[in-house]
Amino acid sequence: METQCDDVPLEHDKGKGFSINDNADLLAEILSRLDGRSLGVAACVCRLWSGVCRRDTVWEALCTRHVSGGAAAARAVVAALGGYRRLYRLCMGPVLERLPPARRDEAAHLSLSLSLSLSLFSIDCYERLGGRQRSSLLFLRNTVDPLVRRSMARKVIYRR
Amino acid sequence: MGPYPCGSAATGWEGGRSEAPCAAPEIDGLLAGAGYRVRSSDLCHVAQRLERLESAMVGSSGNHVDFAHPASDAVHYNPSDLAAWVDSMLSELAPADPGPARHAPAPDAWEDQIYSQPQRAVAARMEEEEDSGIRLVHLLMSSADAIQRGDVALAGSLIDEMRLLLTRVNTGFGIGKVAGYFVDALTRRLFSASSAAAASGSPAEYEILYHHFYEASPYLKFAHFTANQAILEAFEGHDRVHVIDFSLMHGLQWPALIQALALRPGGPPALRLTGIGPPSPDGRDSLREIGLRLAELARSVRVRFAFRGVAANRLDDVRPWMLQVAPGEAVAVNSVMQLHRLLSDPDSPGPAPIDSVLAWIRGLRPKIITVVEQEADHNKPGFLDRFTEALFYYSTVFDSLEAGRASCSGAQQQQSTAVAEVYLQREIRDIVCCEGPDRAERHEPLMRWRARMIRAGLRPVHLGSNAFKQARMLLTLFSGEGYCVEEVDGCLTLGWHSRPLIAASAWRADDFDEDARPIPDNFIFNSISNTNESNSSINNNAAMLRRRNSNNNNSRSSDSSSQQESIHGM
Repeated sequence: METQCDDVPLEHDKGKGFSINDNADLLAEILSRLDGRSLGVAACVCRLWSGVCRRDTVWEALCTRHVSGGAAAARAVVAALGGYRRLYRLCMGPVLERLPPARRDEAAHLSLSLSLSLSLFSIDCYERLGGRQRSSLLFLRNTVDPLVRRSMARKVIYRR
Repeated sequence: MGPYPCGSAATGWEGGRSEAPCAAPEIDGLLAGAGYRVRSSDLCHVAQRLERLESAMVGSSGNHVDFAHPASDAVHYNPSDLAAWVDSMLSELAPADPGPARHAPAPDAWEDQIYSQPQRAVAARMEEEEDSGIRLVHLLMSSADAIQRGDVALAGSLIDEMRLLLTRVNTGFGIGKVAGYFVDALTRRLFSASSAAAASGSPAEYEILYHHFYEASPYLKFAHFTANQAILEAFEGHDRVHVIDFSLMHGLQWPALIQALALRPGGPPALRLTGIGPPSPDGRDSLREIGLRLAELARSVRVRFAFRGVAANRLDDVRPWMLQVAPGEAVAVNSVMQLHRLLSDPDSPGPAPIDSVLAWIRGLRPKIITVVEQEADHNKPGFLDRFTEALFYYSTVFDSLEAGRASCSGAQQQQSTAVAEVYLQREIRDIVCCEGPDRAERHEPLMRWRARMIRAGLRPVHLGSNAFKQARMLLTLFSGEGYCVEEVDGCLTLGWHSRPLIAASAWRADDFDEDARPIPDNFIFNSISNTNESNSSINNNAAMLRRRNSNNNNSRSSDSSSQQESIHGM
């Protein structure tokens, strides 16, 4: 006979171990250390994980990593604009993707990415208020191809 | 006989190619485009024999010696007649296959011609296009010169020639497209009786075009973000701030500022926004609608916000009393591509409207004036000079739009690019067709704006590294590697392939009470003491006199109907 215990496994239950799924908050704490793509993968594991990955705190930790100060005030503003998860999906993710990989962890770049993303996000929120089709952020869905080649003919003519 | 001569081959095949469209209907059209004449009914047969030919060639690849010596009585077959050619090849390589005893031309020659002819055709076509492009530019210059000299007949005939050339050039991109717009503008100038201003469309249309231009290219986003950064830095330490926007449009610049003010350390100030825009003809108060939306956004992020709309057709109809600047608030004046409409011809006598507008702007004692203008010289009095400048400027802009279109995925974005081109076409028409007071698009380069602002008693404010870094990061979001941001004397310019196209600068009045403060370099500032100017900077007496005496028909302060005083107590 074993007694159920939520937090601490009994001595003779050592064989059963501790399941991460028993504690959603702990799971959230761990998942908040992942990067965006891994979070997306984690959300596909099971319904519990998907629910945890929908929490805005997880995405907030992702977006505000390396960014100092003002977290509580920012939380209210971002929540009003649509939440960190949406911020990451619409703006921060594409912005970070376009940074060169070496720079993606630099605090200065992350801070600038966040402020730029917030600006774009506020425009998106404003367009949603207007009820019209959201279009200002569509350019973020383009794939950036630095190797686009253009015909030499045009360049010749346009050079003064 | 020797190897198949290249020269006659080329003419023969080109002849075949140009004949194909009007040949007998059984010739396959697609292959005809590549230079081969094959009857559609024969396609299956030819395909099979080509397969056999391939296996025969691969199988006998060790026997090159067989190919080196063409028979002395070889009969030349035009390889564009694919059916006969493949039969003859097979007969040579696989003699077991019954077929007419014809010999193919030497392998080097046919290999060279079969495999490179399509590519050579493409290269020839590209050269032809390039030649046509250069010829178009030349014709455009000549017709502009003819118009300047007053030779209408010559200009007309040149335009006809250009139209003919345009039918042969690809007008989907590049010089063909730009030339198309310029030829259209020249035609309007020569042949349309009424002034082109009448055909410029309604303000509502203009707003839609503007919105699509905003979506399709980074120029306006760059303008908004850079101006917002300068305004944000200037508002540091102030509790009540007032922004005057010279053209509200859809108000797309302000959500980002509202959000940034909401997040600033120390809490948001009370924000007032005065938006100037054209009056709406159908009774809808579009300014008020925009104000309501911005107010809702501000309410959701808990920023005290008040909006006021001023309806005016021209900026010089606006008077300072309409803006109702209160004492003690920090004022920012924002002008995105509006000031150039107030200029006049450089050689016309008397003061231009810009001077009086700059004077009353200065009278408001703003903390910052953000000016974004096109970086081009389209205000030259001579038509040919102006035309040439415009041609090169808009070619560059269209080039950048084209690069954006090439990488964008959605149909909506393609549509945005197309509408953005219509927006640019309006500007082109204005620059080419209109003269004198009709012309509104009088772009001037940054250097001349700087001189004008300094003459008006304003001092430049350096835009700072934050604005520069933000602009650079914004550009990484746009595809097309050609965009570049440069810093010129504290102003930022955005350009395409080292040609600057749009320039942003910031200014303030130079007779301020407060000491010159060091240019802050980071987002978090030290608190700056706010010297409150006690007297209102507006000359109220003069304004009241003007109101009594003059007839302000064109401009109404839409005080009674459009004011949105939604001040939220915190």
